[in-house]
Amino acid sequence: MDVSLQILASGLTLGAMYAISTAGLALVFGAMKMLNMSHGAILALGGYLSYFALTGLGLPAPVGITFAVLVCAAVGVVIYHIVARPMLQSDNFETRIFIATIGVGVILESIILEAFGPQPKPQPVSVPGSLMWGGVYLPYQNLMILGVAVLIMAALGFALQKTRIGRAIRATAQNRDAAQLMGVRIGGVYALVLAISGGLAAVSGITISSLSSLLPNMGADPMLKAFIICVVAGLGSVPGSVIAALFIGVFEAVVQYIFGVRFSFALLLILVILVLIWRPHGVFGRVQGVRL
Amino acid sequence: MSVELSIQNLTAGYGAQIVLRNLSLDVESGTLTALIGPNGHGKSTLLRAISGLVTIAAGQILLAGTRIDRYRPDAIVARGIVHVPQGDLLFPDMTVLENLRMGSYLPAAARLERQRLEEVFTLLPKLRDRQQQTASTLSGGERRMVGIGRGLMTSGRILMLDEPSLGLAPIIIDQIYEVVDTLRRSGRTVILVEENAVRAADIADEIHLLDHGGIAWGGTGAELSGRPELLETYLGA
Ligand SMILES: Nc1ncnc2c1ncn2[C@@H]1O[C@H](COP(=O)(O)OP(=O)(O)OP(=O)(O)O)[C@@H](O)[C@H]1O
Ligand SMILES: [Mg+2]
Repeated sequence: MDVSLQILASGLTLGAMYAISTAGLALVFGAMKMLNMSHGAILALGGYLSYFALTGLGLPAPVGITFAVLVCAAVGVVIYHIVARPMLQSDNFETRIFIATIGVGVILESIILEAFGPQPKPQPVSVPGSLMWGGVYLPYQNLMILGVAVLIMAALGFALQKTRIGRAIRATAQNRDAAQLMGVRIGGVYALVLAISGGLAAVSGITISSLSSLLPNMGADPMLKAFIICVVAGLGSVPGSVIAALFIGVFEAVVQYIFGVRFSFALLLILVILVLIWRPHGVFGRVQGVRL
Repeated sequence: MSVELSIQNLTAGYGAQIVLRNLSLDVESGTLTALIGPNGHGKSTLLRAISGLVTIAAGQILLAGTRIDRYRPDAIVARGIVHVPQGDLLFPDMTVLENLRMGSYLPAAARLERQRLEEVFTLLPKLRDRQQQTASTLSGGERRMVGIGRGLMTSGRILMLDEPSLGLAPIIIDQIYEVVDTLRRSGRTVILVEENAVRAADIADEIHLLDHGGIAWGGTGAELSGRPELLETYLGA
């Protein structure tokens, strides 16, 4: 009983971290059919910027985190204007932007490597202490990550459903031409979703590195997981990807406990294959179009 | 009467493929102009060029004397040109009400949202009962009504309807045409793309025949009825 609750707790923490990084990827894909392959590098950048602000500049944690989030959001906007916008009208936008953002990722990672070096660095953002609750060991750090994830997802969900700009994002995702005919300036929507996604990547980079450490290529694994989660959920489905992220986090924790860490990725891929055989367009996906 | 929308020597297409060649057309304020012509000769492309979805290669488009052909689509809607596109292009995962409310997305229309919604429900009573239904589950006729209703939620003075009767049963087509007639009588400028030349001749003040990306003929409905050879040549009717 204690063990299964313990696994559930660490699985949910893992899932919450996945959810933060996946939601951004899904939002951008849903709104503009852009698979942002530099998402992982932006995530690492966010982690390093927080490290730099706190350790290098000696700023307090809330300021440093805000700084990292804002810079990564700005990186998203820059990617829109310099990389995505020039190829929006082209026939194979989806393929071109996929390849172009791989390049962006390499550039960002090289900048990180150049600036901070290849050795692991500690993420100074951490909450010490822990809680014993019904025989389950809960570090405050994990609870904070869970809380942050819940807050962010609720805010994102509310914004998408209830605000004017959220309606514009959903409309753009569901029919780009029709959205424009209603007066939505889709350029603004695209810049905005890339900014949100960049900010979410920063948060996820900070949380992930706070449980391990900073490395220039630390974004690769979460990016891969985020991509897998998106595919399982159905590309572009934001609520679906959050549910899938939590599920996969728990799945991973269970597999790691029963079979050991080295089997977790293999079993994850088997799960993905089974899901895609069952539902080729993802659990929450549809044959055509995307959901937001 | 004055010319409200003037299209002058317009050339436009998709990439290297030119669809409209040197096309000129004037639309007078408060009239209903019908565009007829064979499939694939550029009727929808013309509407898409006017609403800014298709970038034009040459020529100009003037709205009440002001050039609008370099404007973004959102700026063109804001200036009162509404395009109800072929195939409806609804937001499939939104409800009927959410779709309609997207029509009043721009601030000028948002202020009048309640009033417009009432008007749309009066004109298209069926939508009132379907408000909470998801658009992707609607029937073809209901979808068309949402598409038209969504267009009417905007603050448009010029309404462009692309084949509003396409694929519908005759009884629904009659309903749609009643709506079009009401709109025309409300004093709006309407540009109507229609496959069915007889229907078009019936309702339009002016008809233009679009062929190979240009205007091949223009006149009134009565004049068109006196030229059966035109329909035979261009539409195989
Ligand atoms: N997005 C697009 N990309 C490339 N070519 C297109 C595109 N849309 C339309 N075309 C081409 O442009 C030409 C004109 O199409 P358009 O839709 O304007 O014709 P139409 O007169 O409206 O026909 P219909 O009566 O069938 O609706 C066609 O040859 C069509 O294949
Ligand atoms: Mg057409």
